[in-house]
Amino acid sequence: MTVGAGTAEEFIIETDNLVKTYGKLTAVNGVSLRVPRGAIYGFVGPNGAGKTTTMRILTTLITPTSGTATVAGYSVTQNPREVRRAIGYMPDFFGVYDDMKVWEYLDFFAACYEIPERERPALVNDLLALVDLSHRRDDMVEKLSRGMKQRLSLARTLAHDPEVLILDEPASGLDPRARIEIRELLVEMARMGKTIFFSSHILADVAEICTHLGIIESGQMVAQGTVSEIRQQLLPTREIIITLLNRTEEAKETLMKVEGVTGVTDLPTEQGRGRIRVDFSGSDEAVSQLLLALSSQSIPVVSFSEETRDLESVFMRATKGIVS
Amino acid sequence: MSADVGVTPPAPARPRLLHGLTDNPVILKELRGRMRGARAFVVMTIYLLLLGAFTALVYVAVAESTLTVGAQVNVGEIGRTLFTGVVGIEMMLVAFIAPAFTAGAISGEREHQTYDLLRTTLLAPSRLVLGKLLSALLYVLLLLLAAIPLQSIAFFFGGVAETEVILAFLILFMTALLFCTMGIYFSSRTKRTMSASVLTYSVASFITFGLPLILGSIVLVLGITSGGAVPSSSEALLVYLFGFLLCTNPAVTAVLTQYVLLNEHTLGFFSYTLSGGETIPLISPWIPFVLIYAGLTVLFFVLSVRRVRMIEN
Repeated sequence: MTVGAGTAEEFIIETDNLVKTYGKLTAVNGVSLRVPRGAIYGFVGPNGAGKTTTMRILTTLITPTSGTATVAGYSVTQNPREVRRAIGYMPDFFGVYDDMKVWEYLDFFAACYEIPERERPALVNDLLALVDLSHRRDDMVEKLSRGMKQRLSLARTLAHDPEVLILDEPASGLDPRARIEIRELLVEMARMGKTIFFSSHILADVAEICTHLGIIESGQMVAQGTVSEIRQQLLPTREIIITLLNRTEEAKETLMKVEGVTGVTDLPTEQGRGRIRVDFSGSDEAVSQLLLALSSQSIPVVSFSEETRDLESVFMRATKGIVS
Repeated sequence: MSADVGVTPPAPARPRLLHGLTDNPVILKELRGRMRGARAFVVMTIYLLLLGAFTALVYVAVAESTLTVGAQVNVGEIGRTLFTGVVGIEMMLVAFIAPAFTAGAISGEREHQTYDLLRTTLLAPSRLVLGKLLSALLYVLLLLLAAIPLQSIAFFFGGVAETEVILAFLILFMTALLFCTMGIYFSSRTKRTMSASVLTYSVASFITFGLPLILGSIVLVLGITSGGAVPSSSEALLVYLFGFLLCTNPAVTAVLTQYVLLNEHTLGFFSYTLSGGETIPLISPWIPFVLIYAGLTVLFFVLSVRRVRMIEN
């Protein structure tokens, strides 16, 4: 990714033991986030896990009960103005004004971000072109479809050229086509050098475009890191499917002796060939040891492949559905 | 396509005063929204029709009574009555319209879910409140200016001086200013525009109707109990206290200011003779009124800004 060389801080969003309680309810319970500069960070968790509360703390809308949070090096409680300058925020709802045209909507928010009046017309046109709404420039905002409103919202977050975009459920409630359009826009914005921190309760939305992932449940982080780190962290065992011509039992004995193998199970035969599944916790080098062990015994291996488990199963495993 | 206001040419250089107004994004946005479509013009038309109808009614009533009853027709009297009537109706309309423009100022942003968006921008709370206030005031000002031709009918008959027109305008404007600011304040305190409206109208009607009622009953009670045997020092105190309370009501202030102007021929200080024969200095009611209303406006403004600035816990 486009990690800026020589940037002062490695993490553009950093929270330490963030806690937010509402009376007896603890919405966020000790969240420590690390979002690297330039990342597309997917913040995933079931509804009510504390995603929105965390984002509202990061966007200076609410103060944390305890813990610290910094965005672009500024504390959200001590330097809210600097934080606001650095972020573009899109809440999980679309704020509409009656009696407002599409271009006026962007012009108004650009003005709120202190963009000089003479620069605004060109900026508004650029933003509209970016989100492909130039043809709706003079229409009323409330006449737009949901997907278009969402794109307009995204354009608004970019008005003041912020470093970080904090997007709360950017794809929720959209039809599949609009969902894909939003996803493409996010990738485009990452290419422009923005760090994108966005939440979703649907992992499939996140998986395809994210570089980093944080999973939250019941106000606590379950896992966090790059997508492959998360996979390894949550699913320590790999599944390897081996198809053999014969000598299946012999192969199983051999494999059990290899370090890191935790279990070998028979699978139904296919066209008379034996298939076995190996549960294995080890590195890539160790995987090759498996194959080596088999070939050293001259056991005829037809195919040898690792099952990649999709993130959905990672997610299901990580979140136990405590929040319904 | 017809020529549309929405098309933005590269911004031309503006006079500084206008720039100060357009520089606040909230004013620009509010005015664009308010003047768009038929609504603003419908409100204006209804307002002028009501005002015109009342003026006609007052004219007919006054003219009829003076023609039938009085042998000598005092034309100046007709003019003055017309003027007082128009200003009185304007005051009621302003008291009614001004809160409506601002009671939704902040709570409306909450209801439209745009409040959080605004709070994450660099827009300062004071500029948000000021923008809301000025945009509402500009419209009220438009209504007041539009009524000047109706007020001026009184000039045909004479009996009304320019100072009275200016003073009436000032009192109306201060009333609008305070009521608009109160609307914003209650709007910033409540989640719903409905409750903000109810609160603002309650306080506004207390000031315009409730207060005179209470004052009237106090006068009655005092008149009965005191019986004239009050030491002059406490009588002076009572006069000042009572005078101060009178100055919190715009209608009472307007009537008394006119009375002082006509009978004492002053807009400033005059002396008042107590029952004991002593004289004490008094001031024309419009001055304390303007000071009280300006002070309250500043107070409500500051409270609103503080409320908007607050980060939720």
